[in-house]
Amino acid sequence: MAKYIAKRILLAIVSIWIITMITFFAMNAIPGGPFNKEKATDPKVIQELEARYNLDKPLGTQYVLYMNNLLHGDWGVSLKTGRPIWQDMTAKFSVSAKLGGRAAIIAIIIGIILGAIAALTRNKLPDRLIIFFTTLGTAMPSFVLATLLLLVFCLKLGWFQVYSASDPNYTLPVIALAVYPMAYITRLTKTSMLDALNQDYVRTARAKGVSKIKVIFLHALRNALIPVITYVGPMVAYILTGSMVVENIFTIGGLGSTFVTSITNRDYTTIMAVTIFLAILMVVANLLTDIVYKFVDPRIKLD
Amino acid sequence: MKKKLIAVLLVASMAASLVACGNKNSGSASNGSADSAPAEATAVNTDTTTLRINLASEPDYLDPALNSSVDGACLAVNSFVGLYTYDENNDCVPAIADGEPEVSEDGLTYTIKLKETKWSNGDALTANDFVYSWNRAVDEKTAADYAYMFAPIATNSDGTLKIEATDDYTLKVELNAPCAYFYDLLAFPTFMPVFQADVEKADPDGTQPGAWAQEPGFVSNGAFTLKEWKHNESMVYEKNPNYYRADEVKLEKLEFMLSADDTAIYAAYNSGDIDFADTVPNDEIQSLLNSPEFHVIDTLGTYYVGFNVNSDLFKGLTADQACKMRKALSLLIDRQYIVDTVGQTGQVPADTFIPDGMADGNGGIFEADDFGYYDATTTGAGNVEEAKGLLEECGYSFESDGNGGYKISPALEVTYMTNSGTGHEAIAQCIQQDWGIVGIDVKIETEDWNVFLEDRKAGKFDIAREGWIADFNDPINMLEMWLSTGGNNDMQLGKDTSNSSAPSWKEYDEHIQKIYATTDFAERVKLMREAEDMLMETSAVVPIYFYNDIYLQKTNVDGIYTSKNQNKYFMFAEKTAE
Repeated sequence: MAKYIAKRILLAIVSIWIITMITFFAMNAIPGGPFNKEKATDPKVIQELEARYNLDKPLGTQYVLYMNNLLHGDWGVSLKTGRPIWQDMTAKFSVSAKLGGRAAIIAIIIGIILGAIAALTRNKLPDRLIIFFTTLGTAMPSFVLATLLLLVFCLKLGWFQVYSASDPNYTLPVIALAVYPMAYITRLTKTSMLDALNQDYVRTARAKGVSKIKVIFLHALRNALIPVITYVGPMVAYILTGSMVVENIFTIGGLGSTFVTSITNRDYTTIMAVTIFLAILMVVANLLTDIVYKFVDPRIKLD
Repeated sequence: MKKKLIAVLLVASMAASLVACGNKNSGSASNGSADSAPAEATAVNTDTTTLRINLASEPDYLDPALNSSVDGACLAVNSFVGLYTYDENNDCVPAIADGEPEVSEDGLTYTIKLKETKWSNGDALTANDFVYSWNRAVDEKTAADYAYMFAPIATNSDGTLKIEATDDYTLKVELNAPCAYFYDLLAFPTFMPVFQADVEKADPDGTQPGAWAQEPGFVSNGAFTLKEWKHNESMVYEKNPNYYRADEVKLEKLEFMLSADDTAIYAAYNSGDIDFADTVPNDEIQSLLNSPEFHVIDTLGTYYVGFNVNSDLFKGLTADQACKMRKALSLLIDRQYIVDTVGQTGQVPADTFIPDGMADGNGGIFEADDFGYYDATTTGAGNVEEAKGLLEECGYSFESDGNGGYKISPALEVTYMTNSGTGHEAIAQCIQQDWGIVGIDVKIETEDWNVFLEDRKAGKFDIAREGWIADFNDPINMLEMWLSTGGNNDMQLGKDTSNSSAPSWKEYDEHIQKIYATTDFAERVKLMREAEDMLMETSAVVPIYFYNDIYLQKTNVDGIYTSKNQNKYFMFAEKTAE
């Protein structure tokens, strides 16, 4: 196991390094620049800014300098605002993670429960209701759902404020973020649960007189969770990093909108930092997923 | 109302999820008809101590020297104050300056007495603070976008400004030439003082000049000081008891919702969570026109179409023919239709480049009411014959297409470049139809905002949408941008002297220098008029309409006012419970 993890970490470092290279050269290849403004900036000012951020150097040198700084823990400052990126990014990630973490927990727990219920009540009313709502949940874009939640719960019912500086509303954005993964997990759990329930080992266990509850939770569900885990790993990494649409609609200062805005603004240092951060999260999530496989299904060999 | 709101919210949400840039009030593509019934009153909040506002999303800089955005300037004027400011009548009046300055006979030296005022931390604000702040703003290391605003002030050999604190409360300023708009400059955010100790503490090595104002708690001298900042969410400003007019400030707090999302802003406004919204969904404008909460104010700016004078479109034509071709296209644009159907908020069709209402620097208004280079309310289809005649002089011929329009020969295809944004694209489509009458095939090219700016500056276009909001109330701000060396000269006037189809621009450059140098302000007005004549003669700049500014404000709020360059002053606002 340790050997496997070490190998994966090594591969992850190589992957992240390749990602930094691709991102760095791709973002510099696209037209536009960080200092473009509607009212022209004095060329002397541009010159000063380019020198300040090493943008006056050849692209290869810029990359080497960036990586050197990064390896020394210096993520740089935003070209747009001059704010230190690490400080900014971690503050925003903590907001996104707070929302995303809650949404992920809700999605996983409710998704698995609903999926199991749907499988056990196949073709009956609960199953049909669950499938109807999960189909709706997977089909509805997040901006529609977020807008509807805003309209119903903030404007019509008045249960939440649309905006508050002192008491921000996190309930609705968590719901908006959780619905899609929850619906997807429900469908995934149902499918794999049905598959598991038809396996010989389940029939054998039942024939041996093992209780239905034990069969479902100790045998069927455990095995049914493997495809769910495959989805949940990257999903958690994705959801933790925030959603531009949901953050914008509920005025939440998370990482999702920062990432998109940084691309629009050609804020190179922020683009790099957020991409690397997301890549690390994704790699860690995948690694953890593989390790969890091992615990769920001891037959899996990681070496 | 509810169904409509759902529709608006959904549409706005879709639009907002695509990152759009450009002027928020440039209009929309709505085809909605005017609703004569007054709009329903929206919910209000009864907290009379706090004004809740949305201006825009997160500002880049709160440092007044580094700010270059309108929303950032609004934050600056409410948390800092310079020597001059604008009052509720839009007059430029002394603020920290103690009465009118003493001006030398040649108009070159200003001796400005300062009131004895304090920073928010209680320290005395002295003339030396202005000397430091202004020299910091022009220092190349500060890299301030608006450093050029200090150009009228004379400089020493080391690049510092010829300004001096002759005592703690007297500032002496030497100018290069008499400056008709000097007081307007003194009210501009870049000229506001910053607290030296804060600046130097936050940026000891001089590499991050804006660092001192990146988190709450910094010292300022305006009506409010920043107490809380949740990035991309909210900012809370509290009343500064050391503000020189603190006794007139009734509000205890300003809360800013940091959002550019139409859906969220409009919903927050309707629910009463905010009292003031500077963004109005385009599709809601028609239904709000009769609402007492909907405000439209004049602003100093012009939306226009620009021709790249070096474009291949004019290849083979003489400079005179190229001007005629552009003039023909200008005459074909139905400005009134654009204003009525796209702008919707009563914008005035533009018949000059300098907007209506701009001061002339000599105590008058630059554009007299009856002055115009054409009748902007009647341009469009009624000018087809005149436009055809001008195009025929450029070598084109016409024959009827049998549908009331014409076929042009040789075929003429032009590309109109714009950035994404429903209003800009709708205007492009109107122009496409107008020019289509004489058989011109218009291809609309929509670019990402950042790329659009770059291509426009580099002259990589034939025709592009343009707009300019004046930085200060003087025509020179909208005339000097056309200097052949000017960074905002997107039309490329005078940039390629070898191009025989482009207008000769040397005379214009010289003319602007004369305006800079003249000591006679009446003569200056005449020179500026001639400069605008020269600009309009090229028809490279085709004014469409004069901007106005729209916002929503609750009926229980009073006392907010806006300067003509769109800075909003909230410090003297009052809220009542109903």
